[in-house]
Amino acid sequence: MSVKPGIPRNSLIWLLVAQVLVILPHLTHLPLWIIGLWLGCATWRIQIFRMRARYPRSWLKALLMIGAGFGVYFSRGSLVGLEAGVVLLIAAFILKLVEMSTRRDALVLIFLGFFAVVTSYLFEDSLLAGLYSLLPVTALLAAMIGLQQSSLVTRPWPTVRLAGSLLLQAVPLMLVLFLFFPRLPPLWSLPQAGDRGVTGLADHMAPGDIARLGRSPELAFRVSFDGDIPPREQLYWRAVTFERFDGRRWSQSYASHLPQEPEWQAVGEPLGYNVVMQPSGQPWLFALDVARVAPGQAQLMSDFHLQRRQPVNQPLMYQVTSWLDARREAVRAPESLGRSLQLPERGNPRARAWAMELRRSAQEPQAMVDALLKHFNRQPYHYTLEPPPVGDDIVDDFLFETRSGFCAHYAGAMTFVLRAAGIPARVVAGYQGGEVNPAGNYLSVHQFDAHAWVEYWVAERGWVSVDPTFQVAPERVEQGLEQALARERSFLADQPMSLLRYRDIGWVNTLRLRWDSLNYGWQRWVLNYQGEQQTQMLQRWLGKLDAQTLGLGLVAILGVLTAVLALFLFKPWRRETDPHQRLFRRFERLLARHGVHRNKGEGARSFAERAAATLPEQAPAILAFVRLYEAQRYAQLPGTTDELSHSLRQLRRALPWRLPKPAGRS
Amino acid sequence: MRILPRFRDRWLLRRIPPAPSVRLNQRRIFIMPTAVGLAFLVALLLMLLTAINYQNSLAYGLSFLLGSLYLVTILHTWRNLAGLLLQAGGTTAAFVGEQALLRVRLESAGRAYQAVALGWPASGLRLVDVAAGGTVEVELSLPTERRGWLRPGRVRVESRFPLGLLVAWSWIDLELAALVYPQPCVAERPQGHSAPETEDEGTLARGAGVDDYQGLRAWQPGDARRRLHWKAYSRGQGLLVKDFASLLGNDPLLDFDTLDGDPERRLSMLCHWVVELSEKQQPFALRLPAGVIGPDGGQAHRDACLRALALHGLGGEGSA
Repeated sequence: MSVKPGIPRNSLIWLLVAQVLVILPHLTHLPLWIIGLWLGCATWRIQIFRMRARYPRSWLKALLMIGAGFGVYFSRGSLVGLEAGVVLLIAAFILKLVEMSTRRDALVLIFLGFFAVVTSYLFEDSLLAGLYSLLPVTALLAAMIGLQQSSLVTRPWPTVRLAGSLLLQAVPLMLVLFLFFPRLPPLWSLPQAGDRGVTGLADHMAPGDIARLGRSPELAFRVSFDGDIPPREQLYWRAVTFERFDGRRWSQSYASHLPQEPEWQAVGEPLGYNVVMQPSGQPWLFALDVARVAPGQAQLMSDFHLQRRQPVNQPLMYQVTSWLDARREAVRAPESLGRSLQLPERGNPRARAWAMELRRSAQEPQAMVDALLKHFNRQPYHYTLEPPPVGDDIVDDFLFETRSGFCAHYAGAMTFVLRAAGIPARVVAGYQGGEVNPAGNYLSVHQFDAHAWVEYWVAERGWVSVDPTFQVAPERVEQGLEQALARERSFLADQPMSLLRYRDIGWVNTLRLRWDSLNYGWQRWVLNYQGEQQTQMLQRWLGKLDAQTLGLGLVAILGVLTAVLALFLFKPWRRETDPHQRLFRRFERLLARHGVHRNKGEGARSFAERAAATLPEQAPAILAFVRLYEAQRYAQLPGTTDELSHSLRQLRRALPWRLPKPAGRS
Repeated sequence: MRILPRFRDRWLLRRIPPAPSVRLNQRRIFIMPTAVGLAFLVALLLMLLTAINYQNSLAYGLSFLLGSLYLVTILHTWRNLAGLLLQAGGTTAAFVGEQALLRVRLESAGRAYQAVALGWPASGLRLVDVAAGGTVEVELSLPTERRGWLRPGRVRVESRFPLGLLVAWSWIDLELAALVYPQPCVAERPQGHSAPETEDEGTLARGAGVDDYQGLRAWQPGDARRRLHWKAYSRGQGLLVKDFASLLGNDPLLDFDTLDGDPERRLSMLCHWVVELSEKQQPFALRLPAGVIGPDGGQAHRDACLRALALHGLGGEGSA
């Protein structure tokens, strides 16, 4: 036919739409100039289609490509890595649009579009993002269909409807593949999506750090317990311990990175639960003391925190068993005790003096701790998210001047005083409590649940956890941060958009909890449906399976589904009835609704005449339809069924919606 | 060397026997991935690798969705031919060197068919849509090289709709045949005498508009351009028109035997004069070794003469 098949209008329209839809979710991590480039290229391509502009010459194309390369280099600092790679992909996706002149080019563009959708998943994989991505995929398919259609087809909607129905028909097969297709471990390592400004605990703690987290409504992790959810007071989620103090900051000691399991004894009933944590950018996992996870997943470090090899950059699911009453390093004094006594040479003289004084009057370490807790309880300490600034001697200023602070202040000060009194102690950072979601019977822990507490070592009992904040603001532990800050009204004060602020409005809260539960399900059952999870699930449903049975079963199910779809598409039971016959059936049904039934063996003509006699007002329309039907069916006159169905429509319009019973007329 | 195509032809002959009307069914439709389809599969594999290496469930999901789509497309591509009825339409004869036109009717038994391509790969396929329950006639043109019956053989009907990932096709023989006349070749009118049986009836007027050359006269507006005497014009004698008068005279006889040269050339010359005389609406007779046609005038006579010229010496093929 034509020498060089151009791109039909329909296809071009859907390509342009698809491009907007593909690029939209990428905007959060694309440099601004990409948008300008896109607008320019899209306008240019439309002008080419309207024959008002020409295709770019090859030197200009080369210039644009080099320009885009430089743009990526300058805005991302490199041409390799995931971020730069995605910008390059999008730039190519945009530039290809201008250059596109043949169907082949259009196909390249469409395939690039599919890849761009895949890369968008690496940055955002929420339920909404997944559902949204169906839009660009549908548009890309519509563009692909448009390429095949003859140029006479110009209406864009039927094309996209066909694309949508193709996708819908593919969904059952896709679900089967998703469930049964074996998940492999990564074949080689690829650059990961880098630091996306994740909020969360850091590996050090200055006085204001945790208070800053206290303002963030972001999710930290969700937990499903195998049994009942334990009371809030027991939910101390350990993330990391801080053993080094430099006078201002608490930080991890190098020794706590040693993958050496400390000595501990399980006491009491084990508690099983499943955690799905959000990306934290840090290698540690959250768990209740003392925790054990599957060997490959993480290692219990010498300070009882769980750590894995790589930082958690994607949502991570793990199963934990904890012994809440376990005795930790109680048998003999651990070698690490020295680290838990370290203090800077100078600074905070009043606190040191006060510690010595307390120690002298208390004698026993435990009595000393009790005295300290009593001090926090009795003295006018104040729990606040907005602590006043302190000077160089942060512990002195807090203990004797301001006396108001967030959990980090209390934990830091208590650890300092204990150490100054010669009792080994360290700060534990993590999260405390969480919000029970009744919709899914699980616990959501947010960033504002971040907490710091203290553990000290005494002979024979080992490490003992203690929370000084509880003495100052018991409602923080018993009910949560919002109640603890009720007087101050500072809970999420700078987060007006966060639904968490509106927990007291019943329906908003119900809606929020439902949505959260949905997202959790998405994360647990869809995003984390990887190797082990899949094996477990399939075993639970189908019992023990070997790879061969699985493969054969997969092929069989796919075959059955395809056969069902084929039946649905081809409708072999309707093969014989031709379209004229089908329209005549509809005609019959229409008249039957108005009380005229065709007798067995009655011809079309005599039936119509009888109907015309019964419905004299519609007689012309009835007879017109039958005449056309006979002409097309028996006289083999040419004509499409369109004409006949048009005639049927006219008859339907001529008939009133409902006629009085024929009996009423005679 | 040519064993494979011959084997294929024989196999096709058994599977899809020639008939003037063929309905495409599962025995007659073949389906294969196209180059685009293979590229799509490679792209899917890359997506799957991305999914595996990033352990990303959504990327897995999209790869599976597009993979399932590929399976679904097999059905849809196949369906876009299944049930289609193809019938041989009329053909239009052509002179050697022109395009012969062959018509094929496509009829839908219910579904709409989109972008069905029809034709011969060598001369390009025509793309047509068939409405639900509708009929479409496609005119296929073929270049002609030899006189006689042009039998293009099997027509390829294919469809890549909807996604172009697969091609479903069939080779059907609708027993299409177009008559190809010899190529007209300008020559002196063969100096044949008038047909013997009309010798005495030369004065009989044979219908209106029977003209014969009379002489030259000055051109007037309204005169047919093809009657202009170009030679005179080139000699600078102004625009002259060959004047024809109604003549009740002898009809010319175009005789194969009076011409010289090889038979094909002779046929071409006769062909030229058949066309020329028919255009002038002058009755004539044509004598070929096989017999005499005419004298007569009119379209039917012209067609009979041209057909005889086209099929001269081609043996038993005249029956088709």
